[in-house]
Amino acid sequence: MRVQLARRLLDRQIVDVDGLLVGRVDDIAFAVDDEGFPYVDCLLTGQGALGARIGGRTGRLLVAVADRFTDDPPMPPLRVPLSQVARVDSAVRLRCRAADLPPSPVEAWLRRHLIERIPGSGRASG
Amino acid sequence: MRKLFAATLGVLSAVGGFVDIGDLVAASQAGALFGMAHTWVLLIGVVGICAYAEMAGRIAAVSGRAVFDLVRERLGPRVALLNLVATWLVTVVTLAAELGGVALALQLATRLSHLFWVPLAALAVWLVLWRLRFELMERIFGLAGLSLLVFAVALVALPTDWPELGQGVWQVSTAGHGWPLYWFVAVALFASTVSPYEVFFFSSGGVEERWSAADLARARSNVLIGFPVGGFLALSLIAVATVAYHPSEASLSTLDEVARPVATALGGAGLAAAVLAFFAVTFGAALETGLSAAYAAAQYFGWQWGKRVRPREAARFHSVLLVGLLLGVVMLMTTVDPVRLTEYMLVLSAVVLPLTYLPILVVANDRGYLGDRVNGRWMNLLGAVFLLLIVAASVAAIPLAIMTGMGR
Repeated sequence: MRVQLARRLLDRQIVDVDGLLVGRVDDIAFAVDDEGFPYVDCLLTGQGALGARIGGRTGRLLVAVADRFTDDPPMPPLRVPLSQVARVDSAVRLRCRAADLPPSPVEAWLRRHLIERIPGSGRASG
Repeated sequence: MRKLFAATLGVLSAVGGFVDIGDLVAASQAGALFGMAHTWVLLIGVVGICAYAEMAGRIAAVSGRAVFDLVRERLGPRVALLNLVATWLVTVVTLAAELGGVALALQLATRLSHLFWVPLAALAVWLVLWRLRFELMERIFGLAGLSLLVFAVALVALPTDWPELGQGVWQVSTAGHGWPLYWFVAVALFASTVSPYEVFFFSSGGVEERWSAADLARARSNVLIGFPVGGFLALSLIAVATVAYHPSEASLSTLDEVARPVATALGGAGLAAAVLAFFAVTFGAALETGLSAAYAAAQYFGWQWGKRVRPREAARFHSVLLVGLLLGVVMLMTTVDPVRLTEYMLVLSAVVLPLTYLPILVVANDRGYLGDRVNGRWMNLLGAVFLLLIVAASVAAIPLAIMTGMGR
């Protein structure tokens, strides 16, 4: 059953209710209920979670690059509660908007320090 | 009538978009050294890229996902990361070569050193990506690239011996240069015809333009008509180089020499058209490679990407795009000769070709994404045969490059 879960969820694209891309399922967090049964609690997304999953030198490099572009490292992964997942097809589709989730620290850092300083960053070119 | 017009426009931009700096260099060098003896390589390349572009377009239209969006789900994060790093690096080297081509075209037009033009060309590419609408961008440079037809016109004006030219297609010989060089040029020409970024861009572009199953027929006809006509333009490059340089055994090493026969045949107007064509096809390809590199990274990590959202909402995508462009400028500022850089780029492209094409074939057979729109038996046969050729070219590229001293 666990293998099935990994195949269905891991590495899938997470898409919000408007079709905006939130991230990928980089890892899965489990929790244990009162009776001692483990269950899937959250989907984790973010370079930190991906780096930890890949492991080794490559994984550490991914984490280090992400932390460099964050205001207060280490950067925690974005946790998406399973209750926010509407359905899973070729992507994991959420019932909430990306704006309702905490923003990705790297995205926010790059937006503030680089992209937003360029004129026209608020207008899509289509 | 309007529909017909839009359809024609789509086909024409595919034609112009097919040719890039790799074709300009590889096709002209093939013609100068070996005459028409590489025509078959071009033909096979065109058939292959049509088949794979059709698959990539079908995947984009049916599943709404770009091909490389699906690579990580199929291959896992480690292998896909390796694929990403290799693809990204080769695409950025290609971007540098295209920028070099833009700068060389401007040097031809103004007589100012190409190094002066490199930063300006990069800035212009970035501005177009930052502001211009996707479809408009494709059309402007695709259509301007059609001025490459001047090479076909020049062929008529030059003292072309048509029967001899036709015979050269069938008589595959080494013209005294030896087989290693023949095959090295063949691999380079093949890589320039099936450049990885083309399918990459095509499938991501389909998602950007929000293709659905209903748009599939149009997308398919754009490619199936546009790419073969683009192949014809590349063939006319080979033919002009054959007529102008092949008998005298001169080898080609600058864009100036590629354009010279056109100037001889058609005078100043011909030269102007050739320079405009060089500018348009390399600029268009710089846009495509710049976007492709950023698409690859964003799709691996699952970041928001594309030109349809405001840049501030795709900050990581636009940052990676900027990094790629800057790296391209830095590479050119080492004063490496852009034509030489193109030759290296073609060898590298040949090596990584399987990384691009294998996943397409795998995903095009996945019912989870495509339902009953998966490949038919004949498509799979064609795809598999072509994949064998790609693997052969990939394995042979480095040994041939070493044996021939990069074709010198």
